[in-house]
Amino acid sequence: MERAAGMDVLETDVLVIGGGFAGCWAALRAADLKATVTLVDKAYVSRSGASTMSGGITTCPLDSDDLDTWAEEFIVRGSYMCDQRWTYQLLEGQRERIKDYIRWNVPISRTADGSIRRFASRGMVNVRGMQYQPKVAMRELRRQITARGGRILDRLFITELLTADGEWPTRAGIAGAVGFDVYTGRFVVIKAKRTIVSTGMIAMKGTHRVDNDCGDGAAMAFRAGGRLVDMEFTFGGTFNVLMKKFDFPSYNVAVAHGARLINAHGERFMQQYDPERLERSELSHVVAAFAKEIVDGRGPVYVDLRHVDDSYWTDIAKLHRGGSILLTDHVPDPKTNPLPIEPTWGLWASGRSGLQIDLGGRTNLFGLLAAGSVAKNDATGTHASAGSPTAFCKVSGWHAGQTAATEARESQHPAVATDVLTMLREQALAPLYRQPTRQAADDLHDDLARLEASVVNGMILNAEKLARMLATTEAVTVATELCRADDLHDLVKLHEARNVAACSGVVYRSALDRTESREQFFREDFPMTEPSWFCWHGATLRRDGKVIFDRQDFPTEGVRFVPPPPEAGGLGPIGAIIRGEHAALVQA
Amino acid sequence: MSDPTGGKLTINFDTCTGCSLCVLACPVDVIRMDAATAKPVIAYPRDCQVCYLCEDDCPTHSISLSHDISNSRRYSTYDEFGLKV
Ligand SMILES: Cc1cc2nc3c(=O)[nH]c(=O)nc-3n(C[C@H](O)[C@H](O)[C@H](O)COP(=O)(O)OP(=O)(O)OC[C@H]3O[C@@H](n4cnc5c(N)ncnc54)[C@H](O)[C@@H]3O)c2cc1C
Repeated sequence: MERAAGMDVLETDVLVIGGGFAGCWAALRAADLKATVTLVDKAYVSRSGASTMSGGITTCPLDSDDLDTWAEEFIVRGSYMCDQRWTYQLLEGQRERIKDYIRWNVPISRTADGSIRRFASRGMVNVRGMQYQPKVAMRELRRQITARGGRILDRLFITELLTADGEWPTRAGIAGAVGFDVYTGRFVVIKAKRTIVSTGMIAMKGTHRVDNDCGDGAAMAFRAGGRLVDMEFTFGGTFNVLMKKFDFPSYNVAVAHGARLINAHGERFMQQYDPERLERSELSHVVAAFAKEIVDGRGPVYVDLRHVDDSYWTDIAKLHRGGSILLTDHVPDPKTNPLPIEPTWGLWASGRSGLQIDLGGRTNLFGLLAAGSVAKNDATGTHASAGSPTAFCKVSGWHAGQTAATEARESQHPAVATDVLTMLREQALAPLYRQPTRQAADDLHDDLARLEASVVNGMILNAEKLARMLATTEAVTVATELCRADDLHDLVKLHEARNVAACSGVVYRSALDRTESREQFFREDFPMTEPSWFCWHGATLRRDGKVIFDRQDFPTEGVRFVPPPPEAGGLGPIGAIIRGEHAALVQA
Repeated sequence: MSDPTGGKLTINFDTCTGCSLCVLACPVDVIRMDAATAKPVIAYPRDCQVCYLCEDDCPTHSISLSHDISNSRRYSTYDEFGLKV
């Protein structure tokens, strides 16, 4: 291949990187405020990311609801580990965004009298969610952005944020981003007054069927000096994907309609672990319970759809691929036969960790904002109920777009030196010109994904295990600097491997730094919850390459819900389930 | 290179009109347009994430995709514990 000559240089007020729900709402809001907006995506906006693939549950507050009881539930179940102003902003903002969906005729599940069908969201008792068609919502968002004059650049892979001083980490702030066209290899520089990163969550490729989301934005921001918080809480689980052979629309949707989990003896085992919410408990508790059943010899575990209400099947028919639940032919009818189910456990953040943002979406770096699942969701703390991640994407996107557009009015484009751009182009495209190597990008993704091969093993962490995992990410990082990319498609995957390795490295380091267990994070060498860890746990990269950790208190001034004084010494919930001491958990 | 999808991701060229919606639909760049034939090709089958977006977006139902594609890097707990399901 010929070395690509030159580069395209574009200018925009607001650059949005990543066009899922968060990026689309950001672009929409910024365009509404008359900023020039450029939205870029490595795939085709409306057909990419977790948003398009999501289950279609979203938090659904209506004008008639008392938001205090909703906020309280988010805050208390999230162990008060949030910014309560964000909780209210989330609920108030989401109420308006639901109205947008209604105005745009996005299909929403409704009852016979035409009102929105609402149900208790998984993990919650008071908070209500609704079900809608995310693929239609994404298509509509694309249309709305274009109608407002927003520029969308599809198949543009962003490799690095542009810093105003040409340094990584920067002291001067962010001035845009650079990347290459996935089809032509053309190097593109986008200078922006404000940059919003909305690249979705951090996840391994090949484990969740959302292979675009490799933590690119978190990794780029981290290299530029962005502060990531609570990265050890990135560990999480989901039941969205069943086994290797089966699939159905969504665990959260099924249990909202009455689906049950049973073990090999037909026992509804969640009765032991969470008698109130049962299968609708926190996902981490359900995954831990799954692990416990398997380890104790009561597996396999099945999802039992014989108990769902009729609206489950009618909603699926309307909202999910014409009612197919995508089972292979040799699977018996799920209406009458329980299906074997299994969760994943690994990097799966969706708001529990990420770039910390203020109420306006600003990160710690001047000029850089973040929205959606690349950001820490401070509205719900560690507790993501079904529907809250997408609510947070909409609302954080909307606010980031508004802040960016408003601030851009008063700003100039920072000057960027040409030699910096040339260096970034060399870095981005270098793997295409390397000698053939033994390892390819695929092998590196295999190595990384193997880190979360075992759900049971992955839930139980300790220093030695984490150090081994960290060593793998470091080896992969070194390999990405040597590996050849055969073509542009492969080049994307190589950059993705580098970014997954960078993010997982921060996750494992943060996990090593946290010497306690809490929420869905369990270390068998530090199984107890320690009051001193009731805080945000920040990680930042220093110029010498060292990762610096900090702890910050949650805002307490004027908060409506005052946390009780922290107690020392409780076993975290995962530890309690795995060790069979969950009776205490049930009473608590 | 052998097809890692084992022929489980296929395009019926008798009905395909070459509209390229499947190319847009694929989040992971598995499908490309072949300039010579003006028809799509499964260029990177290894990366199919089995999301069905291409199948759903095809106006002439010319793409079919089977669940058994083994691109997955997911490992089964049941295999680990030797449990048959
Ligand atoms: C299968 C599944 C089901 C879910 N179900 C629900 C549910 O029912 N309810 C709920 O509330 N939440 C659900 N979630 C979570 C929710 O979908 C996500 O939190 C949310 O969609 C994230 O939106 P986002 O805009 O932050 O990121 P995404 O929608 O993932 O968008 C990120 C975009 O950034 C692009 N991108 C990434 N890196 C780059 C780069 N380097 N250059 C250019 N572009 C880039 C990607 O291509 C992608 O389009 C589910 C998630 C999954 C995976």
